Amino acid sequence: MTIELLYPEVCNLYGDLMNVEYLARSSGAEVVRTGLRDTPRFTTEDVALVYMGSVTERGQELVRDALAPHLEALKKRTDAGGVTLVTGNALEIFGEYIELDGGERLPMLGFLPIHSTRRLLGRYNAMYLGLYGDLKIVGFKSQFGHSWGDVGEGLFTTLRGAGLNPDVKPEGVRIGNFMATYLIGPLTVLNPLFAKELLRLMGVEDPKLLFEEEALDAYRARLEDFSDPKRNFTY
Amino acid sequence: MWFKFTLALWAAKLSVPVLKLTRHNGTNFPGELAMKICPSFLRYIDKPARILAVTGTNGKTTVTNLLCDALTAAGHKVLSNRAGSNMYPGVATALLTGTSLLNRCHSDVAVLEIDERSSRLIFPHLTPEIMVVTNLFRDSIMRNAHPQYIADFLTRYIPKETRLVLNADDLISSAVAPDNDRVYFGIERMTTDITECVNRLNDMRICPKCAGPLTYDYLRYHHIGRVRCRECGFESPAYDYAGADASLEAMSVTVRDKSGAGTYRLISDSVFDIYNLVAAVAMLREFGMTHEEIGRCLSETRVVGTRHTDEEVNGVHVINQMAKGLNALACSRVFDYIASRPGEKEILLLMNCLSDERHWSENVCWLYDADFEFLADPRIHVIATGPRGKDYLLRLKLAGIQDGQIDYARDEFEAAEKLYLRPGSSVYLLYGADDSLDLAFKVRQKVLALAKEAKR
Repeated sequence: MTIELLYPEVCNLYGDLMNVEYLARSSGAEVVRTGLRDTPRFTTEDVALVYMGSVTERGQELVRDALAPHLEALKKRTDAGGVTLVTGNALEIFGEYIELDGGERLPMLGFLPIHSTRRLLGRYNAMYLGLYGDLKIVGFKSQFGHSWGDVGEGLFTTLRGAGLNPDVKPEGVRIGNFMATYLIGPLTVLNPLFAKELLRLMGVEDPKLLFEEEALDAYRARLEDFSDPKRNFTY
Repeated sequence: MWFKFTLALWAAKLSVPVLKLTRHNGTNFPGELAMKICPSFLRYIDKPARILAVTGTNGKTTVTNLLCDALTAAGHKVLSNRAGSNMYPGVATALLTGTSLLNRCHSDVAVLEIDERSSRLIFPHLTPEIMVVTNLFRDSIMRNAHPQYIADFLTRYIPKETRLVLNADDLISSAVAPDNDRVYFGIERMTTDITECVNRLNDMRICPKCAGPLTYDYLRYHHIGRVRCRECGFESPAYDYAGADASLEAMSVTVRDKSGAGTYRLISDSVFDIYNLVAAVAMLREFGMTHEEIGRCLSETRVVGTRHTDEEVNGVHVINQMAKGLNALACSRVFDYIASRPGEKEILLLMNCLSDERHWSENVCWLYDADFEFLADPRIHVIATGPRGKDYLLRLKLAGIQDGQIDYARDEFEAAEKLYLRPGSSVYLLYGADDSLDLAFKVRQKVLALAKEAKR
């Protein structure tokens, strides 16, 4: 089983890379690192998971340019049920455009029916509590903008915090098994039950996580913390 | 405006003795008060003829202290915010305490530590003559996002007239404000250098010009080192101030520039502090001092006590060491340093962000950018504690630290009881920049008492 990590030389912010490490170490999957000058492995081979993490603003443009020639392959892969996970502001790369501070529109890949904003003096920091099916999801957001568009139910349903933008409940985007969320960092470590669901989607039968008990213990403590109505949710 | 400014100055200056009488000295209240009355206070306050500024992710306080000590020893009347905050109110407080009621500044030099993000509010009203940017690394995810964001921020707000002293071994900070006059400092090849990054964080993996892969001629940690691009020929800037022959055995470094050289005693045995020292020497040379003067003036300097305090009891070294929480890189440097020390070591992880805990829940993503892997050593015993103790426990296990080397207790004082305190060992109490300082020193008292009572 192979996990493809896209563009780790730039998509590596906020501890996001631990998602791949945790899933790989829990499943024995091989990790393939695809750089900006490489042809993605998913274009020629079946990979169990394609992952892309948070990135700098300049990096968003580099990634857009690197991935643009492979968009058809990504569509084909998604139509065939291939699993992709995108975290943090990497989500915005798949939208139609990013509106910058001055109103200028920076074109993006147009793979998702969303557009985003970037406000460099208005960083949004918040905790997140939501649902993936029946599973409670906990996480963190730290981003320069939000996104808008018709994303149906999204990836998660927001219980506390902002959805794709502060006015909507759907958080992230899901098309088939292509999943994108604004949540940053080690999402799979913070949410061991979600990590197991992801591994099942990747074809792992009866998945077991590395240090599962400790991960569940930390998850339960955070879930209790985030569910406390007296807890502030924004930074 | 002049009336508002005078009212602000007088009210703020009056608040200083009142705060002292009520034992609240050292706060930023005077500056906050002045700004509330007169938002342009910084513009109108009289300033010293020469202003030096220090910014960057890590090393600001150390470099500021070195500059203040050296300039004071050289006979200058120095004004600084070293005792207060490095944000707008701290700078305003420092300036008003050095100024008379008639708005006459008594000092001839200001050394101002400036928070990178506060440059936006400070620099429209104040133009440093010389400013050092120590480095730019990842810091708080919430405030600073990533180092390129901060570099862009500084580029936008640093005054065009300011002469910059930049770290040539850091391609992120060395590229700020490209139109400004500048000199570069760095440290020549050391015996401990490597060429492949072993850290989780390296924010300079591709060429800033062509996005091609970079090759490191030598690398110290993270993205700090000398690089070349194989595709477009881009390379790190040449040193104007070169730290050479740095030796942790001899505890000395020579700083060479075009008109001479001086050999300086290191302030600590960490490479980080060698950079801080070379940065301070470069600043003082740009200020106009000779190597001889700088060497004499820096000869008695020590790293400030709140950052590193060592006491031996019953053969156990009890060391309080700052490891800025929320800052993966600062913690990684401390972990690397501790791992490199000889003998058995024990670590109490006290750097939970307690102020965040009061307001919301600490964003723990930074734990997965930090190199806890350095602690996976059979000679190291680590204890996770505090509100985020369970997160630390999981992170330590994922870093490869074996069960027998990890303990956990939610309560910090209970955690101290899990220390082995064996003679010859070192106990490190790691605490954050400010909010866990008091707790760390209280826990220290308990550790010292336990070490005294320990059976031999």
